[in-house]
Amino acid sequence: MSIYLLQTINGIGIGMLYFLLAVGLSIVFGLLRFVNFAHGAFYLLGAYFCYQMTRWGLSFWLALVVAPLAVGAIGWFTEKLMLRHVYAKPHEFHIIVTVGLALVVQELVILQWGPLGDSVAVPELLQGVVMWGSFVYPKYRLFVIGFTAVLAVLLWWVLEGTRLGSAVRAGSESTEMVSLLGLNVLRIFSLVFALGAATAALAGVLAAPIRGAEPFMGIEALGVAFVIVVVGGLGSFGGALVGGLLIGIVQSVMSTLWPEGARLMIYVAMAAVLLLRPHGLLGRKG
Amino acid sequence: MAQRIGMQRALTQAPTRSHTTESLMQRRHLLQLSALGALPASLGLGASAWAQSKDAIQFGCPVPMSGAFAANGKYADLGMKLAIEQYGKALDRPLAYTLLDTEGKPATAVRKVQESAQQKGARFFAGGILSSEALAMGKEAEKAGGIFITTAGADELTGTDCNSATFRWSVPTFGAIEQTVRPLLEAHPKAKRWYTITPQYVFGDGLLTAAKNIFKEKGIEHVGNSYHSLTEKEFSGYLTNAMAAKPDVLLLLNFGAQSSDALRQAVSFGMHKNMTILIAWASGLEQFESLGADLCDGVYFGAQYWHTADTPLNHDLVKRSQATFKSNPNYSLAGSYICTKLLIDAIIKAGTVDQKAVVAALEGMKYQGLTGEEEVRKADHQVLKNYYLLKGKAKSKMANKDDYVDVVSSGKSFLPVDKTGCKLA
Amino acid sequence: MTRHFHLLLALAIVVAMPLFMQSGSLASEVLIFGLAAMGCNLLLGYTGLLSFGQGIFFGLGSYTIGLLLTRWPLPMPLALAAAVGMGAAGAAIVGWVAIRQRGTYFVMLTLAFAQMFYFIAYSASGLTGGDNGLLDIPRPSLAVAGHTLWPLATPWQYYGFVAVLFLAAFWFLRRVCDSVFGRTLLAVRDNEERAAAVGYDLRLLKLQAFVISGAVTGLAGALHAMMTGIAPLSNAEYHTSEMILVMTVIGGTGNLLASVLGAAFYVLLGDWLSTLWPRWLLLLGVVLMVVSLGLQRGLWGLGESLWGLVRRKAPKNAPSAGLNATGDNA
Repeated sequence: MSIYLLQTINGIGIGMLYFLLAVGLSIVFGLLRFVNFAHGAFYLLGAYFCYQMTRWGLSFWLALVVAPLAVGAIGWFTEKLMLRHVYAKPHEFHIIVTVGLALVVQELVILQWGPLGDSVAVPELLQGVVMWGSFVYPKYRLFVIGFTAVLAVLLWWVLEGTRLGSAVRAGSESTEMVSLLGLNVLRIFSLVFALGAATAALAGVLAAPIRGAEPFMGIEALGVAFVIVVVGGLGSFGGALVGGLLIGIVQSVMSTLWPEGARLMIYVAMAAVLLLRPHGLLGRKG
Repeated sequence: MAQRIGMQRALTQAPTRSHTTESLMQRRHLLQLSALGALPASLGLGASAWAQSKDAIQFGCPVPMSGAFAANGKYADLGMKLAIEQYGKALDRPLAYTLLDTEGKPATAVRKVQESAQQKGARFFAGGILSSEALAMGKEAEKAGGIFITTAGADELTGTDCNSATFRWSVPTFGAIEQTVRPLLEAHPKAKRWYTITPQYVFGDGLLTAAKNIFKEKGIEHVGNSYHSLTEKEFSGYLTNAMAAKPDVLLLLNFGAQSSDALRQAVSFGMHKNMTILIAWASGLEQFESLGADLCDGVYFGAQYWHTADTPLNHDLVKRSQATFKSNPNYSLAGSYICTKLLIDAIIKAGTVDQKAVVAALEGMKYQGLTGEEEVRKADHQVLKNYYLLKGKAKSKMANKDDYVDVVSSGKSFLPVDKTGCKLA
Repeated sequence: MTRHFHLLLALAIVVAMPLFMQSGSLASEVLIFGLAAMGCNLLLGYTGLLSFGQGIFFGLGSYTIGLLLTRWPLPMPLALAAAVGMGAAGAAIVGWVAIRQRGTYFVMLTLAFAQMFYFIAYSASGLTGGDNGLLDIPRPSLAVAGHTLWPLATPWQYYGFVAVLFLAAFWFLRRVCDSVFGRTLLAVRDNEERAAAVGYDLRLLKLQAFVISGAVTGLAGALHAMMTGIAPLSNAEYHTSEMILVMTVIGGTGNLLASVLGAAFYVLLGDWLSTLWPRWLLLLGVVLMVVSLGLQRGLWGLGESLWGLVRRKAPKNAPSAGLNATGDNA
């Protein structure tokens, strides 16, 4: 198989994880008009909760369910108790309060688990590789692609097919309309924020066997998430998917074409989109 | 954790006032209540009960305590603490040190070294985990009339950027490659195709150049190299590239979290089954703990230090570390310990804290070190010591919780001084 | 009136630090980041632009003076002026592109640029020294025709130099903020549409604010490089931009002196706490959250509130000499 095909497939694998990482950030922005700089911190917590649970001897599969729920709950309370109070303030305070939160979470993680970083084992079922001719690919990464694809469909269905989803989409257009229609806007905000946190945590759990759990993974993830939501379109679900896949494939293919430039290209892409098509590839105006 | 440890003044003689900063500090001391010891040293109020700043010989431990290398910094701090407590005093003066959090940033490191020299009259510094901060601090130490001894890897520290104040305990790139690639070739003579993954900066290039020289000499085919940035976490693209080149050996020239990530991902791709993997610049115990035994199995690691080294000083250190911290010393701790010890020994040997005398005492010093016989080479201030090639063992074969590796070989390889580019006046 | 009061306060700070502090380097660091925070505040507090790109200008200042004192030597004052110019030029480019967007998109653009600059600086190691940065940057004394006017060798001597430049910049920025231009910026911050409707050229105004901000930040970067003797890559990192922003917000975006306060708080507290507790960033995070949630006018606002409380209590104390409201007896 041509190296470029291999890299593209690898890029899809990276990209699906990026999608999961970024989709929460995108949806939260779409509804709350809020750039959550603590998004990486939720990803971090997901990875560490997963690590802790495996340390306790619990299965990875259990962590896959429990960690996102736990972090989602944390997200819910964060929104309710803290973030709600800054909505009325200038947008710099939205950013600063979440920057502060991200710092606090990171340092708490280091306090609890130390600064060193740890590995999380790939679950036994998924260890090893699949071989298809000269194509070698870890089973676990294939699982990640499949799992996030299913999740993507699920999320899409929630956003398009349910009342909650309609409320969220309507709320992205106009929160006043939504409240006039009798729906509890604040409750929806909390739910959406919790959902964003939960998806980030889920991405963290999935990433842990690949990248380990390490206290500074939150910052790195945030940077990547920003690029993806900007390229795909802030507030757009489809944009997160397209953006994630695009960035993942670019990153992977670049490692053959021009390895040093892989990271630079990502930020150049981000700046280019911001200049030429600021609402992203699939974003809506407004 | 405030780190000012020393002995009470019961045994001290009249303090020597050799620095002008001492009198400056006297002028600025408004209160001498020992209870105010916790107040910011920057305010110049009071002296701590632990170390009378007039008497104590002040050391500084400039290491990252926050940021990506906080783990190394934490253990480096413990290493200096161990050495300072062990000696307690030198030249009848108590020993004291301050932890200086460099945050992994050279500018912060330089500023804190400056401050420490100004506020406490500190002249002896052991630290610098990252090359960039070590380079900057070495220059600052020279300006401040102090001595800086480091374990950082950049060749320039005892090469083109060497100076009279800087000393280095760790083996630089040439030795690290010589003592890992060559023995590996002896163990696997059929390994003719090598692929390298290199962090894109001076240090990475140093390792790569040294490796390429051996490749040329031994007729090894260098089937490919992937550069990556210092913040990279996703190595699957580079590994896919590597696999396509079908190498016999995957040589990872990155370090720290990046080498761990690269290894983890390489193992997930099953690469450890098809080829030999060598991490030329591993940290040692810290890294193995964070990777876990399963990932280390069968992988080769190059290391500056391993706690099973059979030398009297190392046995002593292991005992002390077990007694104080209930654990074996890892590289960060051991490195910091020996660097501090070297400084203290040199001060004692010189009989004074005068910088030039201590430098002269250090130069050419031969001693029984952690890795065997070690010598501080006079011409470039590089310590000549062993570098180890380790091989990870299976979890089932581990005799105790720290028995991650077997020592394959060790030895000393250093560039002759005229090739290092160092010109000490 | 307030302008003179603030200038006096700034002077007081500059004079007080040598009296209470032992380290000239630390004192210089406070003023240097005070400059950077003021530059950031000009954009944030006065124009309503949250810029994550201040690290770019800081880094440009450092690199420029590094190159102009080592590789292509110029006399120090000229090199310093060039660094200021480069900071301004960089800000002009970044600003010109970034202000095409508003609100969150603007913020993201500055972020993207900051990351791009970091990677360019990292890759162009021939020029910037890459990860090692530029080393051996000298600190030449201020001299005229071979006659040394002002030696800068010791930390406190250098502090004096930094202090003079700081006060000059402070005075200049105050004049800018109190001028018609400054007031127009405030109008832009409060309501862009209205300002545009009234006929102001938003683009030009924002660009000018950027250029001034970049110049001041470039000066800060250059002074920092001379103090530490290095122009490291970390000056161009995201963390530097974040730090400058944090100082500005903590201090309070209401006025320039507040930014200096924020810088002093961050630098001094960080320096002190980091010797006690490696996890001191945790406390900083908490402070940030507290400021955003309750204390939006930052430390300066806190100070003003406390001052207000004290002054309201005073009339009760003054008249009765024997017994006052708080219960102390004469």
